[in-house]
Amino acid sequence: MTPASRAIPVSTAGARSARNGASSELRITQQQNGIYAATFFAMASPCEILIETRDAKLARRAAQAAADEAWRIERKYSRYREDSVLSGLNRSNGASVVVDDETAALLDFAECCFVVSDGLFDVTSGILRRVWTFDGSDRVPAPADVDACRAFVGFQRLLWKRPLLNVPAGMELDFGGICKEYAVDRALAAITARFSGAVLVNFGGDLCASGAPAAGPWSVGVERPDSDREARLLLDLTQGALATSGDTHRFLMRDGVRYGHILDPRTGWPVKDAPRSVTVAAGGCTQAGMLSSLAMLRGSEAERFLTEEGVKFWCLR
Amino acid sequence: MQLKKPGSVPTALMAASCALLGASTAKADDSYESDDWQVDSALLYYKEDQQRVQAIEPVVSLKRDFGDDRSLGVKLTYDSLSGGSPNGALPSHSPQTFATPSGASLQAPSGEPQTYTTSSGRVVALLEKVTLYTTEPGQLPLDPNFHDQRVAFSTSWQQRLGEQMRLSVGGDLSHEQDFMSAGLNAALARDFNNKNTTLSFGTNLEADAIRPIGGAPVGGTDYTQLQKGGNESKTVGGVLFGVTQVLSRRWLAQLNYSYDASHGYQTDPYKLLSVIDAGGNAVGYRFENRPDNRTRQSVFLENKLALGRDVLDLSLRHMKDNWGIKSQTADLRYRLELGNAMYIEPHARYYKQNAASFYNLYLNAADPAPDVMSADPRLGAFDAMTYGLKLGMTLADKSEVSIRLEQYRQNARDVPAAFGQLQGLDLNPGLKSFIFQVGWRFSF
Repeated sequence: MTPASRAIPVSTAGARSARNGASSELRITQQQNGIYAATFFAMASPCEILIETRDAKLARRAAQAAADEAWRIERKYSRYREDSVLSGLNRSNGASVVVDDETAALLDFAECCFVVSDGLFDVTSGILRRVWTFDGSDRVPAPADVDACRAFVGFQRLLWKRPLLNVPAGMELDFGGICKEYAVDRALAAITARFSGAVLVNFGGDLCASGAPAAGPWSVGVERPDSDREARLLLDLTQGALATSGDTHRFLMRDGVRYGHILDPRTGWPVKDAPRSVTVAAGGCTQAGMLSSLAMLRGSEAERFLTEEGVKFWCLR
Repeated sequence: MQLKKPGSVPTALMAASCALLGASTAKADDSYESDDWQVDSALLYYKEDQQRVQAIEPVVSLKRDFGDDRSLGVKLTYDSLSGGSPNGALPSHSPQTFATPSGASLQAPSGEPQTYTTSSGRVVALLEKVTLYTTEPGQLPLDPNFHDQRVAFSTSWQQRLGEQMRLSVGGDLSHEQDFMSAGLNAALARDFNNKNTTLSFGTNLEADAIRPIGGAPVGGTDYTQLQKGGNESKTVGGVLFGVTQVLSRRWLAQLNYSYDASHGYQTDPYKLLSVIDAGGNAVGYRFENRPDNRTRQSVFLENKLALGRDVLDLSLRHMKDNWGIKSQTADLRYRLELGNAMYIEPHARYYKQNAASFYNLYLNAADPAPDVMSADPRLGAFDAMTYGLKLGMTLADKSEVSIRLEQYRQNARDVPAAFGQLQGLDLNPGLKSFIFQVGWRFSF
C-alpha cells in the first residue's frame, strides 16, 4: 500500500453537531509535506481544503475561492434563508418564473435523477418532513397525514420547461440532496482554474481530489457513522470523488420497528432496510453523491443495485 | 422498477452532472473576490501603407474585485504617432508646397526667404517661421511632420445597489500636444426575470480643449492667408439605453440605443481643401470648416452564441448623424477552442458609410465658397473591410498571452471623375493598414 500523505478524517455523523453554521472564517495552516490545509464551515459541515504548494498566497487565494463558492451556493440554495433563490421559488405560489442558468442546470440534473431512479429521488419530497420528525422518539405519523402530504410531492407535478418553472402552490423544492456534492465539485473547479497542483476538497465527508501530492496518493479514512471515530476504511485517492450517505442517528422506533430517515417519496414512508451508510467512488462528487443516495433509497436492494450498475462502493449495514 | 441496462444509471448521472457543472461556470466565477489585481496589458503596433501614419500604443488596465460585485478598474494608455497624414489637398501633376502648422519646435530651413510661391503663382509672405514641405507630382499630399503623443488615463468603480441594481461611475483624462479632454460617466443596470433580462442606462459628459499648433485656423479661409485664431473647445454629452436578454442557455443578445450631441470646435485644424479651376488645376487651398453641432444616434445589436465550447459573436451597428452620415457595421468573431489551453479567433468586420453633406473632394473655383466644407476622407463615402486573427494561450500559471494580426482596407466610393489636369491622378487612394498586437493577462 502506498504511504499515506495524510489521513483525512471523514465524518458522516459528527458534522451536524460540530458548529452552528454562523461562522464564515477561513483558517489556513501549513502542514508537513508542503501541504496547506484550509478549514471553514459551510452547509452545516466542517469543510477542509488541502493544497500542495509552496506558495502561501496562492494557497490562500485558492482556498478563499473555494470557500466563497461554497458560501455562495449555500446562500443561493439554502431553504433556511428567506433571501435565497430557492426560498423565492418556494414562495412563488403557483406563478411561473424564469430561473437563472445555474438553477436551471440544477433542475435539469434533478429531473434526470428523478427519471433514472423511477421517482425514488425527488427534490420535491422535502415537504414530507412536516409529518416526519426523526428525533429517536416513537412519534410515527398517521397514514392519513402522510397521504395528505404526498399530494404535494412529485417532480412530475412541477411545470419545468427551461427556463420557465412553475412550482404549484403548496409544493416545495429542496436541493439539499444535491448541493453539498455540487459545491465540492464547484469548489474544486474554482481551485483548478487557478492552480494545477494536487488538491483535495472535503465538505463534511463528501470529497473530490485532483492530482496526488509528491509523497503519494491522498489517504482518505471513512469513519463509521456511529459514535466511535475509528476509521473503518482507508482509501487511496489520486483523482475523483467519494461521497457517503448515511442513516446515522436519525430514526424513529415503534413497536420494535426502526423507521430510518430515508423516505420513499412515492409512498411517503421510510425505505425499509436501508444500509447504515453507503460510500461511492465516482469521477465527480455530484455523481458519487447521487449514486450513494439512490442506493440508500433502494433499501435492502442497495448493494445489488450498486453491483449491477458497476459502481465502486462500500456499504455498511 | 425495471432497470434498463446495467451501468445506465451511473452513465446518465455522469452526463447530467457534467452538464450541471459546465452550465454556469462563467457566470458564477464573476462573483469571486480575489485579493489580487487582474492585469490586462497589450502592446499595439499600427502601420498604414505608403509612409503614412504609424503608431505604437502600450495599454495597461488593472482591475480588482472586492467581492460582492464591487470592483475598481484603472486603465493607462500611451500613444506615439508619427508619419505622414493626408492634409486634404488633391494630388497634382505639379509639385505642391505647403507649410506645416507652425510651432515653437518647427524651424524654417536657415537662409531661406520667409516667403513662398503658391501653385497659383502668388508670392506669400510668411507671418511666422514655418517649415515648408513639397509634395511630388502625382503623390497624395501628406504632412510628413505629423507626430503626436497621447497619454490617457481612465478609472471606474462598480458596485451593487441592492439585489437587482448595479452602478458604475468613471472618469477619464486624455492629453496630447494640441488636445486635452476630461470626461465623466455613470451607468445603472437593473436585472429582471432572475437576471435573464438586464436594462441599463448610461450617461457621459466630456469637455475638450483644442490648442492647435500655430493656432486654430479661421475655418473656410484661404490657406495662404494663414488666418489663425486662438484655442478652441468642445463639449460632448451622451445617453445610452440598453437591454441585455438571455434568449436561451446558449444565446445572449444585447440591444443598445445611444444618442450623443457635441457642441463646439469640430474642425480638423490641419486639413485643407484644394480649389480646382475648370481646367483641373489647383488654384488655391482653403482651411476646412465643420459645423459646430453634431448629434449622433446609433443602434447596436450584439449576439453571443455558445456553440459547444466555441463562441460566436456577431454584432451590427447602424449610426446616423445630423451631418448626413449614415453608417453600417457588421462584426463577426468566432472563438475556436484548441484543446484546453489555446484558442484561435478569426475576425471579420465590414463597415460602410455615405458622405457628410458638406464633404467635397475639392472646391470648385467658379463657385462661391460654402460655409462648411471638408475633404477629410473620413467624412467621405467609403467601404472598409477588416480581417484579423487572434491566437491566445493559457500558461501554467493561469496567465494568458495572445497575439493578434489584423488588416484593414478602406476604399472610397463615389469619387468624382478626374477631368483636365486631374486626369491620371488617384484622387482618393483609400487606405490600407495593419495592426499587430501582443497581449499578456495575469494577476499579481
